[in-house]
Amino acid sequence: MKDYIATVVKNERIAENIHAVTFALEEKPRVRCGQFGDIFVGGTHLLRRPIAVCKVDGKEVTFCYQIKGEGTQKLKEMGTGTKLKVLMPLGNGFFVEETEKKVALVGGGVGVFPLISVLRQYAGEKEISAYIGYRNAGAVCGVDEFEKADKFVAVTDDGSYGEKMNAVQAFAKDLEKGNRPDVVLACGPTPMLRALKAVTEKENLPCFVSLEERMGCGIGACLVCVCDLTNGRKARVCKDGPVFNANEVTL
Amino acid sequence: MANLSVNICGVQLKNPVIAASGTFGFGREFNELYDIGTLGGVSTKGLTLEPRLGNPVPRIAESRGVILNAVGLQNPGVEHFIEYDLEWLKNTGTCVIANVAGKTLDDYYGICAKLDGKVDMIELNISCPNVKSGGMAFGIKPETVEEVSRVAKNGAKNTPLIVKLSPNVESIAENAKAAERGGADAISLINTLTGMAIDIERRRPIIANNTGGVSGAGVKPIAVRMTYEASQAVKIPVIGMGGITCAEDAIEFLMAGATAVQVGTANFTDPFAMPNIIAGLNAWCDRHGVRNISELTGTLVLNGK
Repeated sequence: MKDYIATVVKNERIAENIHAVTFALEEKPRVRCGQFGDIFVGGTHLLRRPIAVCKVDGKEVTFCYQIKGEGTQKLKEMGTGTKLKVLMPLGNGFFVEETEKKVALVGGGVGVFPLISVLRQYAGEKEISAYIGYRNAGAVCGVDEFEKADKFVAVTDDGSYGEKMNAVQAFAKDLEKGNRPDVVLACGPTPMLRALKAVTEKENLPCFVSLEERMGCGIGACLVCVCDLTNGRKARVCKDGPVFNANEVTL
Repeated sequence: MANLSVNICGVQLKNPVIAASGTFGFGREFNELYDIGTLGGVSTKGLTLEPRLGNPVPRIAESRGVILNAVGLQNPGVEHFIEYDLEWLKNTGTCVIANVAGKTLDDYYGICAKLDGKVDMIELNISCPNVKSGGMAFGIKPETVEEVSRVAKNGAKNTPLIVKLSPNVESIAENAKAAERGGADAISLINTLTGMAIDIERRRPIIANNTGGVSGAGVKPIAVRMTYEASQAVKIPVIGMGGITCAEDAIEFLMAGATAVQVGTANFTDPFAMPNIIAGLNAWCDRHGVRNISELTGTLVLNGK
């Protein structure tokens, strides 16, 4: 974990309301898939923006983000050459066990981007199937990356790109056909994760989900971004997560 | 190199910069970034007698220049702290200030008694609802400020007691005096100001608790004014806080009457805020020919005087 001075090398729109910013860091960071960075946007914003790492390429790191409020709007306006601080890598990230050969990625919304980092880390080593749900054709992004998976199923809520269904339905449909993974890794809106957990619990499949929550410090000190565990305790999304075993977390 | 050390009720701090409660846990996470033994002190995450799970999420929101939080005192309980964190925190070499909270006077007595003699100082969070007075915070009225200070001091007989004042009051000077009368060895201020931020799309407050404590750069002028008023009202040392982001901010508080300062929200904006402030204090003192930073305390002269 280091507070890098990051220089914007590229910052562009990749889909409706979604932008990708690539920073050049002072050195190559050691990042595990599913980890995130806490981006300082400056001005009157006292909180950083925790955003999942999408790609690492040498000293360059790419984050994809949805324009949601003033902070991400400000990030969007940062031109090439702008320098800002990025504290990273943060959180635990996704791990695939040696024995798990077949990996299913289930993602929706901005949750698709940490899954790209999984794909990039494990491509070639594991047999990866990606089930990705978008709102509509305009929201489709990351296709060039997901096409590197052994199987890529893209679906939309309105059927304007791929079949009309959500990512969990696409995954469940394939599961019914007998395409059973050893582990499921997922990121997306909570209702999506909840629906997925219902499927993986029934099928007795290991499933790991990456959660999102409003954060304070980003390093586990302030206890702002907690989630409920099934054992009645709380966990810190930023430090104990953002990736949790679906069986251990209340969604 | 100026002498940055300060003395608060007999406790020597390496420098006047203390991590504010609730923003720093028990120090372990920030210690992964830098040696927290270099800090003047660490005020722990608010401790209660029993473990607490805190409020539902979201617990934080942002507004221009400030943040709002309502964590709800999530903590593992004082015994867990004593068993698992205290020794580690002491070994870092920083001054350990246990921040404590309660719902009843008995809670305050009990937790202070448990920590007495084990920590360098105890800081009393009196912004908690008093279950016996219909939920009004202990820290609002001078009478309850005095009462809770007295009860806590009875528990903390051998440990300097800092009473952390709430700014959501009629007179900060009266409450400061009340804490002093109750036996406080020092006061700290300000705790957060109560606020609300609304998600206009959902027409609901952003924070699950509806209201939250406002902190950060934007509250600094209020905090400086209150630090001045409180320090004029009492003889005991004052620890100032509220929106401190850089060394120059800290110096304002010292001049207003503080002996030391606490830094909270700035730790979120820049995890190295405190080491940077300490370095900045040194540089400022050198530039201004200040040999001992303690010389700055209360040197403010009001206009027209």
